[in-house]
Amino acid sequence: MATVKLTDVKKIYDNKVVAVHEFNLEIKDKEFVVFVGPSGCGKSTTLRMIAGLEDISEGTIEIDGKVVNDLQPRDRDIAMVFQNYALYPHLTVFENMAFPLRLRRFPVEVEGEPAEGEKEPVENKEGEEDSKEKKIQYVKLSQDEIYKRVTEAAEILGITEYLTRKPRALSGGQRQRVAIGRAMVRESKVFLMDEPLSNLDAKLRNQMRAEIIMLRQKIDSTFVYVTHDQTEAMTLGDRIVIMKDGFIQQVGTPNEVFEMPDNLFVAEFIGAPKMNIIHTELVNEGGKYSVVPYGTKIPVDGYKGELLASKNVESQQILLGVRPEHIVLTAKSNPAAIPCTIQVNEMMGSELHLHVVTDQGGEQLIVRVPTIDLTPAQRAAMVSGAKVFITFEGKVMHFFNKETEISLITDNENVPVATHKDETDDVVKEEQPAKKSLFAKFRKNKGE
Amino acid sequence: MTDTKKYLIEIETPDGALVSSEQHETVGKKYDVSVELPEGYVVAESGEVEAPSHAAPEYVEPMLEQKRQHMGIKAKRIISNTIIYIVLIAMSILWLVPFVCIVFESFRVESTWQVGYVIPKQWGFDNYINLFTKTDFPRWLLNTFIMGVAVAVLQTIIVLAMSYVLSRMRFRGRKGLMNFMLVLGMFPGFLTLILLYKLLSDLHMTGNNSIFGLILVYIGSSGMGYYISKGFFDTIPKSLDEAARVDGATRAQVMFKVILPLAKPIVIYTILMGFMAPWGDFVLAKYIAHNTSKGMNVAVGLQNLIASNATLSTNYTMFCAGGVVVAIPITILFMCLQKYYVEGVTGGAVKG
Repeated sequence: MATVKLTDVKKIYDNKVVAVHEFNLEIKDKEFVVFVGPSGCGKSTTLRMIAGLEDISEGTIEIDGKVVNDLQPRDRDIAMVFQNYALYPHLTVFENMAFPLRLRRFPVEVEGEPAEGEKEPVENKEGEEDSKEKKIQYVKLSQDEIYKRVTEAAEILGITEYLTRKPRALSGGQRQRVAIGRAMVRESKVFLMDEPLSNLDAKLRNQMRAEIIMLRQKIDSTFVYVTHDQTEAMTLGDRIVIMKDGFIQQVGTPNEVFEMPDNLFVAEFIGAPKMNIIHTELVNEGGKYSVVPYGTKIPVDGYKGELLASKNVESQQILLGVRPEHIVLTAKSNPAAIPCTIQVNEMMGSELHLHVVTDQGGEQLIVRVPTIDLTPAQRAAMVSGAKVFITFEGKVMHFFNKETEISLITDNENVPVATHKDETDDVVKEEQPAKKSLFAKFRKNKGE
Repeated sequence: MTDTKKYLIEIETPDGALVSSEQHETVGKKYDVSVELPEGYVVAESGEVEAPSHAAPEYVEPMLEQKRQHMGIKAKRIISNTIIYIVLIAMSILWLVPFVCIVFESFRVESTWQVGYVIPKQWGFDNYINLFTKTDFPRWLLNTFIMGVAVAVLQTIIVLAMSYVLSRMRFRGRKGLMNFMLVLGMFPGFLTLILLYKLLSDLHMTGNNSIFGLILVYIGSSGMGYYISKGFFDTIPKSLDEAARVDGATRAQVMFKVILPLAKPIVIYTILMGFMAPWGDFVLAKYIAHNTSKGMNVAVGLQNLIASNATLSTNYTMFCAGGVVVAIPITILFMCLQKYYVEGVTGGAVKG
């Protein structure tokens, strides 16, 4: 139904804090885009700028090809779901959902005479352009139409029996359904969701997440969804926009950001438990690459090795990233085995989360071991203090430059990357600029 | 697990094609997993691993001590409650005595001056009848009532609009304006008394017309009384405004359809305060009305009844009757709306 295009969008607050830096993104029609990042990264601010609840300091936002910078929220044809539901406490569920329908005028095609039994036509908004028989009339919906739309939405969301209740008599999940229903009945161009699930408990959140996926198939609209939860981002999004400190870190499909993170931040943010980062050396021996974590030489085979070779990466100190689920247990006799000692064993049911300490280097790593691969005896032997041997393959490795923390193998020239040290100073939320500069100087001195 | 197994995965796509691929064969799968146990652990015959045994922690009985503490707390609560009630009862007696005296005096028939006892020797409604027939009291009551209604309506509109703006909108000078009004409000109102009188007399709003002048003065500064209602509006989540605006409401619709229905206690509180202001005002009302009986409110009129020593001895019981009559409508109003009044005053503590 609608595209959303953000061009060089910037948000500077009154106290000179820059919340969002040059934000460029084109959201396609019917696409589900998720903004994800830690709190304070500017994701909600960006969403609120699309909604029109925050002014845009610089740049333009277009919805369906029309610049909406100076339009009120009500004129942007968007629907929004808020984190705290924002239901009107004095209205019943039905009235809550009917609220946007009663306020608005909806375009209706009318033939000739604008008198149509059930709808009461009001005015022709676009002046007198009645060249043909059919013309667009902006009319208020009739009671029947409102009733029809609300009950339809309620049925989809399974809240029909609560329509006469007040929001305070509903549980969190039901309230969020009502909030979604209120946004649904509008059939607007763009659907904005600001952390809609973060007020729910874990179990309900999983359930609602699945329902949003189903809902999305039914509504078929353009979605922009904000969350700080990477699981939600991965499961819901067609594309994920990962943000930090007001900068976009990477835009990509869930697969892309998981398999090919552009920088260390993205690599650590996506995936739980987070990626293990190992300080090690990348060795290039005539196009054959290997890494040497904790004194164990592991060859970089598979397509990751080919990628390194195609980019002609030199031997250097790197940050090697390996996800916990990609580390496997192996035998002592394996030449690629890294000996470790188990510190903590977290039994998750389908898998074990082993917190291990490498014998050489003494660094902590997390290993996810599917319990299905283990015999009962092996499972019982995974006690604190036991010694295990771990290894990983070349194709699960991620290579990052030690200084810039940018990936050595992805094509990330166009991606605006916030280098972690300098740019955070601009964004640090501090009231007094004088103190800030002192602080920055102090930090710089300490760094050198 | 020692052999290099190759796994096959087959996926049938929605259009019927069969995609098959060899499952990845991890390095780990080529080798058996080896685990070395820490000291003290033994492998039992069953193959299970047994941990070294530890002594169980001692069990401590916590119930008795808790019970004793609980009793102490209960006794303390009874004692402190008793003290609080005694103080409260004493205070309410002190508060009620003058009122009870006035009620008794108003029913006294045997004499019209002040006497040295409380309970009347002869009861009757003479004072009330005289009050309504022999004085301008009905006119004063009407004056005050008109002023009360007018002030209640106008002041509520002004105060609520002001509070909404200060609570919800951000504009240059907002903080400055709020501080300025706070400071301005600290000056006592009668500093401007002489000036006000001059202005109102030029506008012919004194004497007989003084109720118009008074209404103007009462609502003139009412915008400054925004604190309590602004505090209440601040407790209503802003996301409600935002949701309503996204849903298609204008600012005015947000206020009338969302905020005001939620702020019912504060609306009633504001109306009540506006209605009551003219009933209790004396200084300003007296000054503006000076000696024109038709322009007086109840407070000034009643005081006028007992202004001199001569009238004091003839009108005192009538004066008391006037006091009771004035108290009745306000008491009824308060009893009906008391719930909202309390919610309004303690607005910050009540969630919308």
